[in-house]
Amino acid sequence: MTSRYSGHDGFLTRSSFGVLWGLGVLWGIATMATAAAAATFVLPPLVQPASGEHHEGKVIWADLVTPDVAGAKRFYGELLGWTFNDIHTGSGDYSVALLDGRPAGGLFQRTPRPGEQRQPAWLTFISVRDVAAAERHILAQGGKLLSAPRSYPDRGRQAVFADPQGAVFAVLQSSSGDPEDVLAAPGEWIWSSVITRDPDKDAAFYQTVFGYEVFEIPSEDGSTHILLSTEDYARASLNSLPADTARRHPHWLNFVRVNSATDMAARVEVLGGRVLVKPFRDRHGGLVAVVADPAGAPFGLLEWTDTDSKQAAK
Amino acid sequence: MNILASRRSVRGLLVVLFAAVAGCVAGGAYDGGVDVGYGVDFYDVGGYDYGGWGAGYGVGPPRRGGDRGRPDSHPAPHTSYRPASPSRSMPSLPSRSRGR
Repeated sequence: MTSRYSGHDGFLTRSSFGVLWGLGVLWGIATMATAAAAATFVLPPLVQPASGEHHEGKVIWADLVTPDVAGAKRFYGELLGWTFNDIHTGSGDYSVALLDGRPAGGLFQRTPRPGEQRQPAWLTFISVRDVAAAERHILAQGGKLLSAPRSYPDRGRQAVFADPQGAVFAVLQSSSGDPEDVLAAPGEWIWSSVITRDPDKDAAFYQTVFGYEVFEIPSEDGSTHILLSTEDYARASLNSLPADTARRHPHWLNFVRVNSATDMAARVEVLGGRVLVKPFRDRHGGLVAVVADPAGAPFGLLEWTDTDSKQAAK
Repeated sequence: MNILASRRSVRGLLVVLFAAVAGCVAGGAYDGGVDVGYGVDFYDVGGYDYGGWGAGYGVGPPRRGGDRGRPDSHPAPHTSYRPASPSRSMPSLPSRSRGR
């Protein structure tokens, strides 16, 4: 009996040593691999030089998740005049889109899994002061965490969530500050809308999380339109899903400022994209259209003149 | 039997731990690349159908000071959110251009 137990103990001791040794080696490899990956993947700062400004609730960034970054670069480059700064990560590619040298968005390569019935999309980033606090508020209000908070040295800290109705968005605590509140130039993102089933309830969610002032906007067609505002600037709208849509899924939709939605919509088709909503006149008087890039990611085109932001005629 | 059982248990444990740690090395990544924190499953649900959009479906921002829809004296309907005070004028986009 004694020898059996001794042998058992000896076996466990050797095995335990082996397990610990193996784990130690693997952890070392894991640490080195992670450090190497982090070292090669550096997202540029949102603003240079650092602004020190902070505008909670403002949409400050958008990333395209697409299976074809090269195709997206051709499309957006020719359509909007963007240039690109590639960041190679080894097996994944990320490209920063620039307009006149200023970061306009990011393109991220992601190959869909076989049989996956999902589509590429632009991911909307909303400014927060504290990602952890935002996470607490979002989860407490019925939102869902899709990607845990992560930090990137020059970019800041970010996380991805879905609102209670399923619209996906991200929050970003920019380490360089937020872009200043100026009128977007043609080719830049100018507007964002949440197209959702219940704008009323979604407005309460976003108001609680980001502290928005909420304005109801009258609509001619009886559907609900709600405006989210901070610092006396319109930041986004909530719109009810059109009643006769066959397939409905709440989502954020970002709009690029254009001089002519009609010309740009035609150009989208020439470049291999699709027009989802033909240009129509919006409440401010300019035209709006919704298009999709060649991979299917939807985005909006919005005409906006320098005088549109000024006081409406009484 | 105890020794054999223990050996199997420890080997099993070793395999599980190896797989878990190897997962930390190879996984946590975005399709084999670096995890940029966008969620490994982030591709939006497809099927965007905007068939009902058109005239009257306002989606863009309003002009500053635009119509808020009802006179100040008119009671607002019950909403899940806290509506802005009736005295607040409709906000709009910034009007200042970059560098000015």
